[in-house]
Amino acid sequence: MYELFINWIANTPGYAAPYALAALGLILCERAGVLNLTAEGIMLVGALSGIGATLIMGGYPPVAIIIAMIMAALVSMLFATMTVLLRVNQVIAGLAMVFFCQGLTALLGNLFEWKNQPITGIGRIDIWPLSEIPVVGHIFFSQDMIVFLIVPIFYLVNRMLTRSMVGLRLRAVGESPEASDAAGINVTAYRFLTVMAGSALVGLAGAYISVASTKIWVDNVTAGRGWIALALVIFARWRPWRALLGALLFGAIESAMPRIAAAGIKVPQYFMLMLPYVVTLGVMIWVAWSKRGGATDEPGALGQPHVREERR
Amino acid sequence: MSEDAISTIPVPSAPKRRLRGIRFNLEVRRDISSWWQAAYLAGFIALGIGISAIILIWAGVPAGDLVDQFLVETLTDSDNLRSVLFQGAPFILVGLSASVAFRARFWNLGLEGQMIWGGIGATFISIHHIGPEAFRLPIMIFAAAACAMAWVAIAGQLKLKLAVNEIISTLLMNYVALNFLYHLLYGPWRDATDGFPHSPKYADFERLPDVFGFSGALPLALIVALVIWWLVSFTRFGFYMKFVQASDKVAGAVGIPVARITLISVLLSGALAGIAGFVVASGQEGRLIQNFSDGYLFSGILIAFLSRNNPIVAVIVAMLVSMLFISGQSLQVFYQIPFAMVQLVQAIVVICVAASEFLIRHRIHIVR
Repeated sequence: MYELFINWIANTPGYAAPYALAALGLILCERAGVLNLTAEGIMLVGALSGIGATLIMGGYPPVAIIIAMIMAALVSMLFATMTVLLRVNQVIAGLAMVFFCQGLTALLGNLFEWKNQPITGIGRIDIWPLSEIPVVGHIFFSQDMIVFLIVPIFYLVNRMLTRSMVGLRLRAVGESPEASDAAGINVTAYRFLTVMAGSALVGLAGAYISVASTKIWVDNVTAGRGWIALALVIFARWRPWRALLGALLFGAIESAMPRIAAAGIKVPQYFMLMLPYVVTLGVMIWVAWSKRGGATDEPGALGQPHVREERR
Repeated sequence: MSEDAISTIPVPSAPKRRLRGIRFNLEVRRDISSWWQAAYLAGFIALGIGISAIILIWAGVPAGDLVDQFLVETLTDSDNLRSVLFQGAPFILVGLSASVAFRARFWNLGLEGQMIWGGIGATFISIHHIGPEAFRLPIMIFAAAACAMAWVAIAGQLKLKLAVNEIISTLLMNYVALNFLYHLLYGPWRDATDGFPHSPKYADFERLPDVFGFSGALPLALIVALVIWWLVSFTRFGFYMKFVQASDKVAGAVGIPVARITLISVLLSGALAGIAGFVVASGQEGRLIQNFSDGYLFSGILIAFLSRNNPIVAVIVAMLVSMLFISGQSLQVFYQIPFAMVQLVQAIVVICVAASEFLIRHRIHIVR
């Protein structure tokens, strides 16, 4: 039982990583005022590109992950063009993108025969001798590369967002595009580039799922994690560190699921698979309950397109 | 001063370098004729179909066979035509379901979950033989609508009482409903006769009867579409809905019961999706199968979006989507094109139409 517990805690970061990275990318987009519903689709693009690049190059998963991030950013340009340049309703554009990406990745995965081809992927790195420390070593010093990078990534993005001029302007664009425009900030450029940067992070989350977790491509490999990441953003009230906390919670639940079954506790299988979605709903309800009085960083102009000529 | 004069005045505070080179100025159009609107729309739909055709040819469909597959085969072959006419019915229903919710500013993205609950409700009646045989069909339709309404009511209440974002809540509930369906099909409802994970077959009187040799699903859907059209165009309820859609704040200020209108619309939307679930279950296989609701969510949103929530236009769009769906099935059989292609084509068309609205609403000036 003790072994199982340590095993559960040690596996949690691996399950939490895609949630954390995707939520961070979404927070970036939404702080600039773009409601980004594309996460599920962009994650699929990242996941397929990660596998595809690994198969083509015959290895080098870290390079494949970077390629996946670039591909995700490139595909997100379509979404950015629709919402930022063409002022399409962001909900419609986001949903269309998700289904576009689902269709595209399923088609390409089939055509290039990347489907059901296992890869080696990235493995755990033991930081010897720290990894030999009992309990703590296994949990903190024996993870894969991306997990080790998550805290630095969060630190950098959070610092950029809250302590830099770029971050200040980015938040200003999300809070009030009209005022930012009047102050001489290029709203269009800021939003466009933020969507690309945020989507690169979401793509990284997707690539992590395929290259580090499943190590294989099947259609819809992300299985709704993009939507959960969206809910996480609301839970985190648009603050990066809280998103990391929420991601750990979901990672813990997801990594507990196979272990509860292994421990011999009988819960019907499909009720178990429902759990992440039910918990997400529960968290959303709890956040809504406790919203009164709580501080939130929800951007003022979230989801509102900015048209200079329509300003009031 | 005219609109043009205002928009071409250079902004004094802009940095110098911006004024050199080419600059784009946008002007909001207020006077576009409906002919130009239609022309732009048609142009961009053609663009979307063109892009889709290129992808299909690249994916391995011979270019000469495209028209044949999409138009000739689907409309002349009697089996295909029968399928198109049947398949149109659930598309009409989910399209209406989405548009009713969108009219009340509720993003109902739980169409698939509600369809699943509709199927579960109807199948429950079938398995437990509730009611006399003669009334079994109406009871099943009623049960389908009631279950789906109960399911969507959760998201509706959460939105109204706690302002929980319905986009995410309805989407997540799809996954919950799907896993519950799996639980039923792999557990208590597994067909005992062949052991496969689908529900026992409906009796003959539980399946939609044929009307003039074609499935009775389409007449049912058309009647529902007419009722919805009447509801949104000629009743007080429909009038209130227009208010809520235009601005829920103003609607509340002039004394329209916004919360009640929203809730009723949401329930109606759920009921329509539930009936769609029943139609698919009863009309297609005559039983609940694992992924019977796949793909209807996006089709429903697409139909509502392209028809601008108009029930009559929705019927036409739904029939076109149905043609696409059936041709997609034959593409899958003949050329091994994955069925996801249908989804891709739909998404491309939506993206193109959404882009066309930009040109309909704005005029671009190039300033040198």
